[in-house]
Amino acid sequence: MTDFHFDPYSPAVDADPFPYYQRLRDEFPCFWSEEAQMWILSRYQDIVSAGQDWQTYSSASGNLMTELPGRAGSTLGSSDPPKHDRLRGLIQHAFMKRNLMALEEPIRAVAQEVFGQLKGAREFDFKDVSAQFTVKVLMAALGLPMGDEAIVDEKIVRENAVLMVQSDARTRAKGPEHIAAFNWMKDYAAQVIALRRAEPRNDLISNFALAEIDGDRLDDNEVLLTTTTLIMAGVESLGRIIMMFAYNQAPPDQARQAVVHNPALLPDAIEESLRFNTSAQRFRRRLMKDVELHGQTMKEGDFVCLAYGSGNRDERQYPNPDVYDISRKPRGHLGFGGGVHACLGTAIARLAVKIAFEEFHLVVPQYRRVADQLPWMPSSTFRSPLVLQLTTAA
Amino acid sequence: MTQITYIEASGQSTTVDLPDGWNLMQGAIVNGVEGILGECGGSCACATCHCYVDEARLGDLPPASASELDMLENVAAERRANSRLACQLKASPALAGLILNLPAIQE
Repeated sequence: MTDFHFDPYSPAVDADPFPYYQRLRDEFPCFWSEEAQMWILSRYQDIVSAGQDWQTYSSASGNLMTELPGRAGSTLGSSDPPKHDRLRGLIQHAFMKRNLMALEEPIRAVAQEVFGQLKGAREFDFKDVSAQFTVKVLMAALGLPMGDEAIVDEKIVRENAVLMVQSDARTRAKGPEHIAAFNWMKDYAAQVIALRRAEPRNDLISNFALAEIDGDRLDDNEVLLTTTTLIMAGVESLGRIIMMFAYNQAPPDQARQAVVHNPALLPDAIEESLRFNTSAQRFRRRLMKDVELHGQTMKEGDFVCLAYGSGNRDERQYPNPDVYDISRKPRGHLGFGGGVHACLGTAIARLAVKIAFEEFHLVVPQYRRVADQLPWMPSSTFRSPLVLQLTTAA
Repeated sequence: MTQITYIEASGQSTTVDLPDGWNLMQGAIVNGVEGILGECGGSCACATCHCYVDEARLGDLPPASASELDMLENVAAERRANSRLACQLKASPALAGLILNLPAIQE
């Protein structure tokens, strides 16, 4: 018996999951969490194996640690092949690297506008600029109505996207405010879909809303929930990746200054940030059959957490894993997950983060974190500070 | 474990043992094979794990899915009859000893 606990709902795990991960990997590589009522896999090799075996580790019962009502089974992340492949086939072309070239200029214009506001600033919350940047980039990428055409203020889209992925630390479930945000986003997505169906454009949501595969149109619920998820994943995931990159770069050390002086190092630094400490920490699967692992028997129907954030710190895969080393080139990291469900937005995320920091560094070449202890978002799935106060003082 | 050999365009050859069920893109990345990028992480969405399969072994592989065929249209190097995406091939006893030749460019 052991007194070790791993509670993905606890504020201590929100604030610093890494000591827990270390014990999980070393002592309890296949661990039943009473608090979460699921198995926790924490070693790189086990997570990669599970991520590729969708027949055994199913996503159809939901992939978020704390799932939203009615979502499981109808989105990309929460469905298995062949349905998954059918949904994905409709949209993945838009997210391929070579098809994103047209977005480079608009993204840079957004970055110049947003980060330009920081000229002369001495202290600021990085979240304010990263959130503005993210929502504008996402609206441009997905073709959400903006400017004169906007149906709501982008601030409201942002606030609801942030809220819908959180869960209540006390009840361990989605609270009324989280469900309300999710429902708001669904209503918003429904309005956008209706708008694009009435007057289609050459944008992602128009194509998706009107798509047919073998004469079979996606049903309304699939269009609606997948669109909702694209907005959520876009606003939230991209926003948090940017926040975590700023966080990782902010302590006053060589890595940050090297990147400021030589922007060509940004892509490698971004990859290392995605490995070292990023937002997508834990996703969930459900077993379709019994699995024996590390002397434990996980039963068909059990939920399993794939702790990507732990796999990324596994010394069995990455030497000196707790060191943030921008020259590491951590190929195969799990910052975007892996297997059939690996993040659809990897190319646009990499592009947007790179442009964001190229422009940010031009305006703010020197910065560091004001506080060491930060307030962290309550989430069993994601990791991100709620506030990231930076100062330009030396 | 299944033995797979990757031969890069430079001639550099790497033979590895992969756990069954691992896809051959992941197997290359984890073992430091440079000729495969796998930018999308293995979800058949980037065409940067293009490989040429030993012709004699084509019959041992499961046929390419519609999405793989679709994505093969986007490969950077010449597409040939034995072109496959390594992320869509999973290590299994049927593939033991398979040799993959890698193109000079992936993007």
